[in-house]
Amino acid sequence: MTGTTRGWLLAAGLTALGAAAVWAATASLNNYLLTLIAFAGINVMLAVSLSLSNGLTGLFSLGHPAFMMVGGYIAAILTFPANRKGFMLPDLPEWLAAQQWPLLPALLVGGAVAGLAAIMAGFPVLRLRGHYLAVATLGLIFILRAVVNNLDGYTRGALGLSGIPKLTDLWWVYAWVVITLFVCWRIKHSSLGRTMMAMRENEMAAACMGVPLARTRLMAFAIGAVFAGIAGGLWAHLVTNLTPTSLGVFLAFQLVVMVVLGGQGSLAGAALAAIGLSAIANLLRPVEQSTGIYGMTQIVVALVLIGVLIFRPQGLFGSREPGVLMRRPESSAPSRTAASTQTTHLEQRGST
Amino acid sequence: MRTLKTIAAAGALATGLGAAAEAQETVTIAALYNLTGGMSSIDAPALNGALLHAALINEAGGLLDGTVMLEVVGIDTKTDQQETATAAQQALSMDNLVAGIGYGDTTFVLAAAPAFQEAGIPFVTSGATHPMLPTWVGDHMFMTAFGDDDQSYAIADYAYDTLGLRRVAVWTDDSMDFTRALSTFFRERFVERGGELVGDDFFMMGDTDFSAQIARLQAIDPAPDGVFVSAIPGEAGLSVKQIREAGITYPIVSGDGFDTELVSTVPGPDLANDVFFSSHTYRADDRQVVSDFVAAYEEEYGRPPENAFSPLGYDAIGLVAEAIEAAGSTEPSAIRDALAGIRDYEAVTGMISYTRETMVPPKPVAIIEVQGGEFTLLETWFPDEVE
Repeated sequence: MTGTTRGWLLAAGLTALGAAAVWAATASLNNYLLTLIAFAGINVMLAVSLSLSNGLTGLFSLGHPAFMMVGGYIAAILTFPANRKGFMLPDLPEWLAAQQWPLLPALLVGGAVAGLAAIMAGFPVLRLRGHYLAVATLGLIFILRAVVNNLDGYTRGALGLSGIPKLTDLWWVYAWVVITLFVCWRIKHSSLGRTMMAMRENEMAAACMGVPLARTRLMAFAIGAVFAGIAGGLWAHLVTNLTPTSLGVFLAFQLVVMVVLGGQGSLAGAALAAIGLSAIANLLRPVEQSTGIYGMTQIVVALVLIGVLIFRPQGLFGSREPGVLMRRPESSAPSRTAASTQTTHLEQRGST
Repeated sequence: MRTLKTIAAAGALATGLGAAAEAQETVTIAALYNLTGGMSSIDAPALNGALLHAALINEAGGLLDGTVMLEVVGIDTKTDQQETATAAQQALSMDNLVAGIGYGDTTFVLAAAPAFQEAGIPFVTSGATHPMLPTWVGDHMFMTAFGDDDQSYAIADYAYDTLGLRRVAVWTDDSMDFTRALSTFFRERFVERGGELVGDDFFMMGDTDFSAQIARLQAIDPAPDGVFVSAIPGEAGLSVKQIREAGITYPIVSGDGFDTELVSTVPGPDLANDVFFSSHTYRADDRQVVSDFVAAYEEEYGRPPENAFSPLGYDAIGLVAEAIEAAGSTEPSAIRDALAGIRDYEAVTGMISYTRETMVPPKPVAIIEVQGGEFTLLETWFPDEVE
């Protein structure tokens, strides 16, 4: 099992390298740069988890911000200082108003509720295909916005929650980025990931081979939503302010752009695209400020996207992962070789 | 923009020569505004006002006897709260930062100001009007505009006393905190004065068809004396047009969301009648500061101030400059203390004094009438403690 050992060693090495980078960053950079890196990390989480549905399974979902909103609001209500809850959120039941949780359990509950919400929404929504699915998931954002707006006593309505404790720091983001990448990577390279990709390529063929379509679709949607919920919680505790309009359609499209740029189904590609787009937007900010041409960033990002779609429509990596990160088939056990061959086959089809 | 910078540089150079021996310092004021996206029609004029005031101050020789020059750095936060949080951190990492200003909307202030509060840097919002803002954020938060309670009270008093309205229906844009607050305070005051509310109806930002609300309004029997429409500019013009087209002639009253040309251009001069709203005092105001401001703005940008938010941005810089002079220092903590001590600062949008416990400045409110598409300043309303 040398292949597996090599994989684990590589993963451990990369994690340690990342941790060293985070440590160096927190020691030397100012708050502005640390905030930028933290947002880039949250974008990585979102883009990678969105790849599960949009990239691997071929479900075009725009619903990620809705699940972020669920996770963000739940986590923020749980961590909110108990002494301010009484008058700010008067309708909360007493047992909940007295709670003031640390970040980790709040994030986990937020993620779990987001996952449940995805399962509930998924039953009707995932029966749709293509544009219809995109529009229906877009609708989720508006439904949630209306719900949050009208649950005044629980969410403070249109005014939103302000003064959420600033608990998110770079270490929290880094840990969750690693967990997201790890889980999604394992899913992609497991039989579940194979069935997802098989469905993307040809649903009927996959169904004929015995792939349970509805269940797999729902799983891709719900697992992505769990990470979106957790990312929403991290986001809320970084911005310290959460309103019904904080997470909207614009963000949904930005995330889709990251997945498309990275390559449909490539996790490393989605992560790199998330980092790249965050970097472009913020590198151009000082240029905007000194020239006074506000709005230039959006134009540059749009041009990059158009350029990629014309010259490299499969995205950075297609459906593959960068070669160094992959197991080498010759060092694997025979059963794994079979699986790898299948992957190569699928990936080739995905990239054509 | 470029001419402003040249003027600023020339001003800085001139004073630098004049006071050659004195050490000169340029301090930074970060201006956080949504220059692109949905809020830009409100925020971009405010930044223009702020840049203009800083340039005029530098041109006139700076602050503290020419030892301090102002540099206003505008940051675009794209009507996005994530950008806002990042921009606040960027602002706080700038060299020589003495204060932050920004925003015409409460939501964005709440995303940015707490970071300034935590870092001990004062933040002056030019246009946000929620009366609880300083209470929520803390002692480094200052407001340039009046609170929503004052502007609602002003128009409620005018509607009751002068227009003689007794039975009023209320329409509210239910998608914004500002419009909801405005309606809440109006209802409170109007009922307190002895008026009666005969209908409550809602719409959402972006609605273009008000026929359902109009039908319900016409069904109220006996007919109301007037209707209060709590809306922002986009819906203000449309609602007036459709109400008048339906043949309803009684007065329409509102707050500063109606302070826009759209109220006369969308319905046209034949229909834009009997509209009364409360707003910031600068339109049709004959004080010297106001005419100086309007003239300077026209000279710099080649057009009159777009709306009340440009003088508010101008006043936000004025408050910071006044505080630097009063403190005799550019230490942020000294500037904060001086801001809190400001009394009777003659701003373009009216006198500013931080005398209330809520730290919301008790400012005069203008009552403006629209007849035949023309805006006329009718009277100025003063909060109880100023009278």
